[in-house]
Amino acid sequence: MLREKYAHEVEAILAKYPVKRSAILPLLYLVQQEYGYCAEEGIREVAEITGVSPTEVREVVGFYSLFYDHPIGRHRIQICDDLPCALRGADELVAHAVRRLGVQPGETTPDGRFTLETVMCIGACHRAPAMQVDLEFVENVTPEVFDRIVGDLSRDGM
Amino acid sequence: MTGTVRVIINDRPIEVPAGTLVVDAAKRLGVDIPVFCYHPKLEPAGMCRMCLVEIGMIKMDPQTRQPMRDEEGRPVIQWMPRLQTACTTRVAEGMVVRTNTLQVQEAQRAILEFLLTSHPLDCPICDKGGECPLQNLTMRYGPGESRFDYADKMHQEKRVPLGDLILLDRERCILCGRCIRFQEEIADDPVLGFSDRGRGMEIITFSDPPFASYFSGNTTDICPVGALTTTDFRFRARPWEMTPIPSICPHCPVGCNITLDVRPSARKGGWDILRVMPRQHEAVNEIWICDKGRFVHHFATAEDRLRQPLIRRNGELTPVSWEDVLEVVAEALSRAGPQAAGLVGDRLPNEDLYLFRRLFGEALGSSWISMDPPIFGGEWVARYGVGTGTDFGQMRPGSLIVVMAGDLEEEAPVWFLRVRGAVRRGARLIVAGGKPQKAERYADLILRYRFGTEALVLVGALQVLLDENRVAPEVLPRLDGLEALRKALEGYPLDFIGQRTGVPVEQIRAFARAIAEAGEVVLIFGREGVVDGEAFVGMAANVLALTGHVGRPNNGLLPLWPHANTQGALDFIGARPLPEEVPVLYVVGADPVGDGRPMPRAGFLIVQDLFLTETARMADVVLPAQSWAERDGTFTSAERRVQRFYKAIPAVGEARGDWEIFIAIALRLGQRWRYLSPEAVMDEIARTDPRYAGMDYGALAWTQPQWPPVGTSRDLYFGGTARPNTAGLGRVRPSEAETPEARWPLAWKAPEIPSEESILAIPTRRLYQEGTLIARTPHLRGRTVPWAARMHPETARRLGLEAGQMAVVRVNGQTLRLPALVDPSVPSQVILLPASLTARAGVVEALPVKFRVEVGNGALPR
Ligand code: SF4
Ligand code: SF4
Ligand code: FES
Ligand code: FES
Repeated sequence: MLREKYAHEVEAILAKYPVKRSAILPLLYLVQQEYGYCAEEGIREVAEITGVSPTEVREVVGFYSLFYDHPIGRHRIQICDDLPCALRGADELVAHAVRRLGVQPGETTPDGRFTLETVMCIGACHRAPAMQVDLEFVENVTPEVFDRIVGDLSRDGM
Repeated sequence: MTGTVRVIINDRPIEVPAGTLVVDAAKRLGVDIPVFCYHPKLEPAGMCRMCLVEIGMIKMDPQTRQPMRDEEGRPVIQWMPRLQTACTTRVAEGMVVRTNTLQVQEAQRAILEFLLTSHPLDCPICDKGGECPLQNLTMRYGPGESRFDYADKMHQEKRVPLGDLILLDRERCILCGRCIRFQEEIADDPVLGFSDRGRGMEIITFSDPPFASYFSGNTTDICPVGALTTTDFRFRARPWEMTPIPSICPHCPVGCNITLDVRPSARKGGWDILRVMPRQHEAVNEIWICDKGRFVHHFATAEDRLRQPLIRRNGELTPVSWEDVLEVVAEALSRAGPQAAGLVGDRLPNEDLYLFRRLFGEALGSSWISMDPPIFGGEWVARYGVGTGTDFGQMRPGSLIVVMAGDLEEEAPVWFLRVRGAVRRGARLIVAGGKPQKAERYADLILRYRFGTEALVLVGALQVLLDENRVAPEVLPRLDGLEALRKALEGYPLDFIGQRTGVPVEQIRAFARAIAEAGEVVLIFGREGVVDGEAFVGMAANVLALTGHVGRPNNGLLPLWPHANTQGALDFIGARPLPEEVPVLYVVGADPVGDGRPMPRAGFLIVQDLFLTETARMADVVLPAQSWAERDGTFTSAERRVQRFYKAIPAVGEARGDWEIFIAIALRLGQRWRYLSPEAVMDEIARTDPRYAGMDYGALAWTQPQWPPVGTSRDLYFGGTARPNTAGLGRVRPSEAETPEARWPLAWKAPEIPSEESILAIPTRRLYQEGTLIARTPHLRGRTVPWAARMHPETARRLGLEAGQMAVVRVNGQTLRLPALVDPSVPSQVILLPASLTARAGVVEALPVKFRVEVGNGALPR
């Protein structure tokens, strides 16, 4: 599948590393791009391409929190609820997010648009509370900021 | 790092090899440092912190290079600021270690308290309870109470199947990684892994089928908690209820030392074997066994075991008393006298084989006995089999292991592990075969020849050795037949050999040179070399003898014999053709009919077995025999190690030991045999057979301490459930070449070379090949390999076959029907047949194989 659909990318990735094993991470990004998460089929294909056992590739997926072993929403909202953020109202923010999205942390909205998560410190404590939406950091988050971002993402048609 | 270093542990000095881990150095002093993730057979991981100790160095005066001393004259020690893990720290000159200070005890308590915060403490229902390192270490080093609230424990899934055989209890797992490392480092089936991190970390398997490994059961032994259990043993008994009986695995020629854990059982109405555990023998199986050895024991106590003698009355096999049946048998045999014939399986113990031979030779005056299956290469193994003292565990750089014409992992799983270990320690490996196998992963050289040309490959190697003058000079005076061999080889130019075998001449050269240059060579050969087995093994013998690689430890031939006592059957019975028709045939422990192959037509057929086999169904008289678990006896492994097993359970029904039955018959035939037990038989063998000289039961029960010391429940260092060996390490019956004055003959037999057009039937062995014994272990059902003729799609096309269709295969006049299975990894000129079918048919093994395949719709023969 990957090898057919992303032949060039796969080749380019493999060319970058002296040992194939090192290509596991970038290949898993491809898998995630293709399936929306690290689907079993994709894991097995990465194992084949790199000559590593499927169990070992699955270990990598499990190790990094940016890889998902189950389908998730198109947008991923991770609210930090570690101590500094908690002191600055992270719990209220989470409660607000739960109300606004109608799902609990760890869940995905029924339309498949958002996955809400709480995470440990993301390194933005000086502008707590903080959250990460997909790959973007948002700092000093208030319920209004939160609603605006969710609103924008709901409209973008993606 | 070489040489030794001096360290002081708990005030006691010890000198150990440089590079030794602190935990091992302590063990040598008898000091147990508690561990969880460390295991003496695995690379250190430093995962659990249980082994924390204080480590310091004696301060040296830079001027005098002498230890600095305090006012009282004691050496000054520079302690490291923090505790160190004893399992990852290697000793150094002048190191000082303290394993029992308050600081260490504090750390041990803290680690245990921490581990127990997420441990369910369900010892009362845990299989490991009673032999659990976590229990043991907690009792000895743990805090009496935890500061954590029991109600806050994290709960996780308790029954996660990792395949058909192993279950994982996630909340019991302490994440030591032993199971993962075993699968990677020892078994080389990296099918277990960690997923996630922190509290969420868990063991996963992602192979297909899950936990695909022949060695999975070993992880349950070395798991330091009850997180991994077998589906076979789970919840069946507490360890202290069982009696461990030392035994030998009855399934393959490795001869793994095992323990049968037995207990009275209401369900079985007698005693039951609850589990099979490895027993330590560092020169045989270390502390490992394969899953076949561990799980294929149910046959011994199976419901459908024969429990009574049967006799044919009005066409039906009907129960009869032993007294009556023995009369009938003795009468029939004595009537046939020298015309009586016997066929005996190679699973029988030595004592029984010996008595069977005496029964025919002395009581009947008949020489018509043969072992089953017939085997090639026996005489060369007797002469040049691996030298006494051979031990894969001792092989290192300079050692070479050759695997030829057989699949190491499928046929002798534990040798596969041990060969891999030898390669990790620096031994070289060459794999030569007609098809790929797992051992090739570590091979320095792989020779892929056309099936049927294995003898020719070796002829090529001989050419190179002679051409390049690589005959070992010191062996020249001992060799017989060198000139004849040199002459005979003239007809085989290397180019021709390269072309017929399909192996590049350069590779043949490299192969021969590697053998000549290695300090030690063991050549393991299998039975895929059947096309001309005699020539094949003979040439292999030549190669080793010429290069001086026989008659000493870690050198010689090592056969992948089919069963646990094939070597014994060769020693006491041998293989010879029987007449086509005999008045009386006595078949013991063999099922030629079920295996779809001819056996002599008999006026009167006596069958002695565990089950009502196909052959037994045709019999006039059926005698119920005991399994190996019901009696004492010995097996001779393919390394020719004679090893004792002990009676573990009482006889099933009225079954009797084969030896007892032979005695009862002999007495009725007027012999005056007075053996009260197999021990008495072995005593006689030890006195009268020079090959088994001195091997009475006392000698075979001799042991010596093994390193690493493993497996007592009090042993806090190793903490696995393999058992120590207290019942005997056995004795190796020497090869003939070891006698100082022995001549070393060379073989010559022009190898039969199959024509390039012919399609060959090659017997292959799979560990889980469908069969009588394995069928009685339900847990392996999903993994059993059904009988089939495997072939390349191209071959199938040539034969007009489609996958799944019945192929009717004729091999030297014998007709076999079995489904065709298409497999592109099979070379195109062969059909691979299960060895249990064909290899037991002597014709396939001993002769060139010509056959044709017809398409039919017949049912399987059984
Ligand atoms: S299952 Fe057992 S051996 Fe494997 S990591 Fe967990 S505790 Fe260790
Ligand atoms: S390797 Fe052979 S002897 Fe050892 S346990 Fe497996 S089948 Fe038994
Ligand atoms: S605690 Fe929230 S970003 Fe650091
Ligand atoms: S860290 Fe040493 S035994 Fe686990």
